[in-house]
Parts: sequence; structure tokens; C-alpha cells
Amino acid sequence: MIVAHLDLDAFFAAVEELEDPALRAKPLVVGGDPHGRGVVSTANYEARKFGIRSAMSCAEALRRCPHAVFVRPRHTVYREYSAVVWDTVASVVPTIERAGLDEGYLDVGEVAPDFARARAVAEAVQTAVRGATSLSCSLGVGTSKVVAKVASDRRKPGGLTIVPPGREAEFLAPFDIRLLPGIGPRTEERLRGLGIATLGALAALGDGDLATLLPGKNGRMLRDRARGIDPRPLEPPSERISISHEETFERDVGDLERLHEELRRMADRLAEHLISSGRAARTVTTKVRYPDFSIRSRSTSLPVGTDDAQRIGDLACALLDRALADRAGPLRLVGVGVSGFDPYRQLALPVGADTRPRAVDARAS
Amino acid sequence: MIETDIVVGSGLKLTCSREELTQRLGVVARAVSTRTAVQVLLGVLLRAEEGRLHLAATDMELSLRTSLDAEVQGEGAVVVPGRLLVDLARLLPAGEVSIEHRAEEGSVRIECGPASYRLHTYSVEDFPRLPDVDALQTFAVDRQPLLDTVARVSRSASRDESRPVLTGILVRFEGDKLVMAATDSYRLSVKETALAVEAPPLEAIIPSRALGELARVTDGDTIEIGVHENQVVFSSGGVALTTRRIDGQFPNYKQLLPETFEHEVVLPRAELLDVVRRTAVLAQRNSPIQLEFAEGALTFFTRTQDVGEAREALPVPFTGERFEIGFNADFLREGLEAMASDEATIKLISPLRPAVLEGGEDDPTYLIMPIRLPG
Repeated sequence: MIVAHLDLDAFFAAVEELEDPALRAKPLVVGGDPHGRGVVSTANYEARKFGIRSAMSCAEALRRCPHAVFVRPRHTVYREYSAVVWDTVASVVPTIERAGLDEGYLDVGEVAPDFARARAVAEAVQTAVRGATSLSCSLGVGTSKVVAKVASDRRKPGGLTIVPPGREAEFLAPFDIRLLPGIGPRTEERLRGLGIATLGALAALGDGDLATLLPGKNGRMLRDRARGIDPRPLEPPSERISISHEETFERDVGDLERLHEELRRMADRLAEHLISSGRAARTVTTKVRYPDFSIRSRSTSLPVGTDDAQRIGDLACALLDRALADRAGPLRLVGVGVSGFDPYRQLALPVGADTRPRAVDARAS
Repeated sequence: MIETDIVVGSGLKLTCSREELTQRLGVVARAVSTRTAVQVLLGVLLRAEEGRLHLAATDMELSLRTSLDAEVQGEGAVVVPGRLLVDLARLLPAGEVSIEHRAEEGSVRIECGPASYRLHTYSVEDFPRLPDVDALQTFAVDRQPLLDTVARVSRSASRDESRPVLTGILVRFEGDKLVMAATDSYRLSVKETALAVEAPPLEAIIPSRALGELARVTDGDTIEIGVHENQVVFSSGGVALTTRRIDGQFPNYKQLLPETFEHEVVLPRAELLDVVRRTAVLAQRNSPIQLEFAEGALTFFTRTQDVGEAREALPVPFTGERFEIGFNADFLREGLEAMASDEATIKLISPLRPAVLEGGEDDPTYLIMPIRLPG
């Protein structure tokens, strides 16, 4: 298997820079309100010089760089760019597993018989993406997903890292265990506590130590990955027919505002999921459970699929109101689900687009 | 003041014909709210005045008013539960109906032959005030061209209440020209209609649903149009339809319509529509219809998983490189159905850019956004 992992460089920030070239030379943070509880979604490389990183609070980012420009994420725009990127990639490498708007795995082996030619293919992908969108991306090429993924992060931005067969373990050995896909914060803490800080150290664990440290299949899988062994094939787009979130309350909730808030929160998560899997849903369902455990659900269908959090939230709340009009109540549980996925996207005219002011200069407020 | 003052006098008391009452109630019934927290909106306002019984209903977006001859013994007004009155009137025996408001009982007595009813009433004071049609400055428009323009663009209006502006039709009178535009963001219809008589300039976003009702509730040759604050009043043949204007900015449709195209293909419209309809049978669950343009032929193709597929080719004067584009089957069909001409022109740029359908002079311009085809 020759697989590449493609990662768009500072994707959201790069798109904002393309949309407004005046932002290019400035430290730019795409994320929430720096005066509220927002977090950094993406920072451009200029902002990273100030130590600003994804998932950091925007308040902290503002502290580190008071003259940074903060803009709110515009997923619709990113999605459009992302679609062009993946169409372009697919014209070079047809089999792709998208892992998000800005990253995915490419079956390079399908078009390149060996690693020498794999390099040419990866370079062609970078050139094509830059040509079609002016966006830069980094690629890692290896014999497995785990190696490709770690390698793509090696020389950002615009980097290309090829790990030839047989060199996987050697390549991975110096890296921090945190970088290994599958290692969560708890596992990381456990390993670090025992002085295992690098992938090399993890790879070197004997069966006995591994069984005590990380018992079960998971431990063996992680050690295999640290050695560059990862049998996961590229997966075609998910075939799931619905996704949903629900919340059981500790105490029954009758307050409509609170229920709406819960639904909107779930709608946000569903929309994120849809966006990252590149799908749109035509049906929204709200589910409620009353204190006597009886369940009702109400659904509505759209003529065209959506992946918009606001719309899913609006529909879910309206459905809740309908359910409560038929039977009032405090509720034990509310949930939202989406189904009826379209594998293709109905394109829309740019109408009723976001009218919020785009760039919020942190100093001004 | 050009608002209707509701006279609360000695109490409404009248006799009228059952047939006429039923018929006129049928006109206003469409504006009676069905789901509302405001009880009075579930009612029909009855007002007896100068030998006529006036009826009014509103759901705050759409209001309908009309009247009928009555023998008025007492002038006054009352609001009666709408659904109940409509259902009842339809089932009453033929003949004269007498209606009497008994304010002290908070009820209305309805008698017809041997049958008598007592209905609880809602408070007249709570009923929304509607603009006085007679006091409005209005202008007249020929009914048929107005309704035809509505019918040709209304399919493109959105039914999604979460995007209010798009549920409306942009209506613009420009001298001897009437322009309407509607879009649900997936397609856009624009139609210009020549008017026989010049109209004063007016631009408003009017709920598509209200304009759709116009065809049903009006008759006669002309429709009078007047504007009062944020409301527009259409009246014709003794019926007044009032609708609120939708606040907001209608998309700048001129900017959305591409000026130049890569391909233009002219096809016999009826034949094209037939092919689309046939192909659409297999385009279930929103599956796109794929149009494959190749030298001399246009092939329609669709596939629905676990259902099947359809393919049909039409000879076309197409030259150039092969080209595939996908559309929602309903959107394609509705665009062709809104035209009357013998020929339809399909204008295309590329698979991910808007396409435009055009017919003759009197046909709307129909923009349709493609569906990105998988793979």
C-alpha cells in the first residue's frame, strides 16, 4: 500500500486570507469571540509566531498577540473551497478517504507503482491544489495511514515527506507519543508517567510490559502503530443512514428555552459531523422522552439536504414545539437526528449569506 | 386615519342567504389561522353595516375581506370561531340564515329553518385593524397578466420559513412593466410582463402564498393595488386581500444571472419536458438527472440506488467537448413547465456554474443551480 495523507495548511485562515488579501501580512485568528469564551479554530502562520495554537482560548490568543485580527469561521465558504480542493485531488488520485474539510487519505498506490513515482504524484497533487485554489497543502507518503499522517505534519507548510518502505519505525521513533493517532490524553499521561515519551520507546516495549501498561487489543494496536504497522485500509465515505445526538437530563426539564438551547447545541454537533463527512441531510427528527418513559418523535423533510447548524437547529426547535403542543410536559430526554443523506451536493446561489461584519478588530471593541 | 373603525353598536342582527354566506365565508376561510396562540385569529369578523354583512379573517400575514347583501336589523360587529362557522354554514339547510349577537351572553345566535345554534365569541377589540380599502390610494392592473406573472415565478419561492425573504416574491412595477422574481437559492425565476396601462412605481417583497391566493379569491378584469405602511392591499370583485410586506433585502438577482455562457442549446420544449418527466420517474430520493452533452446528442441519465436507472438521448445541435451536468429533476421540470414557448434554450457555463433556461418573450428567465455529481 502506498498511501498519502494530505493536510491543508492553516486551512480556515488561508481561505480568509484569499478572500481578503489585506489579512495576509497580519496575525489572523479564525475562531470565537476573544472577549467571550471562544476558542481558536485556526491561526495563520503569522499568528503562530506568537504561540497561538488551535483549541487555545481566544482570550489567551488575544493576550499573546493584542494586535491579532479575529474573524468568525465561515463554514459555507470553507466548504466551497474544500469541495474544489477534493475535486482537484480526485483528478490526480481517484480514491480518497476524506477525514475532514481539510484532511484526507489518498490511495497513491493506485496511480504510482513505486515510491519514486509516488513522490511525483504527491507533487502533482500539491501543484494541482495550488493551481485550482491558491491553497497550500502538506503531504506525507508512507506504507500505512499512521505513517502518512505523522509524515504530513513534518514539514508544514507546503511540505512533502516520503517515508520509504522499511524505514517506518525509524522515522516514527523520535516523535512524541502525543502525535500518534489513537493515543488519548489518559493513555498519554499513563505512558509519560512511566517515562515513555517517544514513539520509539513505545515501539520498544516488550509483550510483558505492554500487557501490564496497556492491556488488551488497544495496547498491541498502539505499539504496532508506533512501529509503523497499521492495517487500516482506506475507507469509502460512510454508509450510515442517520446520525443523532440525545441528552438525558438529571432532572426533568420543562423550561422551553433550556430545551431549545440543548437542541441547538446538538444541531451544531450534527452539522459539524455532516460538514466534515461532506454530506447533507434532508430529514431532521426531534425525539422527546417524557417522565413516564414514553417516547415521541417528530420529523420534517427538506426539498434539498442541509448541513447548516442554524437551519437544523431551527427545524429541531420547531419540531419540539410541535411535540409539546400535542403533549406538554417536562421532559426526561431530548434528541436530534438527521437522516436522508445526499451523497451529492445541490449547489446554491449566494443569497441570504451571512451579513455579520466579517473581520472583528480586537482592539476596536 | 385610514384604518377601519369597528363600530360596537346596538349589536349585530341580520338575515342573509345561506348560499351566499357559505360562498363568501369560503373566500375568507383561507386567512383563518389554524395554529396560533392568539385566539382571536381563529375567528372570522362579522360586521353588519348599511345593508351588508362584511366578513374578515387574518392570520397576520394574509387577510381576506369580502361582503354580501343582508337585511340588517342591528349594526355591529362580532368575532366568531372561523372553522366552526365555515363548517356549520356549509351544512345548514337552504334558505335564510339569521345571525344575532347577544353581547350580554357573549355569544352569537344563528338560526336557519328549524335549526338553531349558539356560538361563543371572541372579543372584537382584539381583532387586528386592517387598512381601509376605500381610503387607500390605489392603481388598477389587468388581472390576467398579474396572475400569470405570479404563476410563472412562484414555484421558485422558498417554503422554508427560516428564510423569510425567500418565501416572498419580489414585485416591482416600473412604468408599463411589471417584474417579478423569486428564488429559493437553488433556482431563480424572473419574469417581465408588459402592462397595458402604466402603473406608479412600487417595489415590495410579498409572501408567495398571499399572491397565490389572489387567483382563487378574485375575479373580474382588474385588480386594484394599494400600499398602506407595511401592508399591500389587492382588491377585486368585492374581495380585498391584504398581505404584509416582507422586511429585508431581496437578493440582487441581476447580479446572479450570468451574462455570458459557454454553450447554448435550443430544443423543442414539449419534447424536452417529456424526456425530463420520463427520466424523473427513476430519479427518486433527490437523485440528480445527469445531462450528458456530446457531439450531436444530449443524453439524460439518472440512477437511484436500489431502484434502477433511466437513459434517453435527444439529438441536439451541440458541438464541442463532452460535458456533464446534474440537476434536481423537479427543478428542471418546473422550469420547463413555467414556459409556454415551442422552443427552450438551455444556456450553460460549466458543470458547477448556474444554468439558465429561456423560452419566448413572455416566458420567465429560469436560473437553475446544478448538483455536483459524485466522483
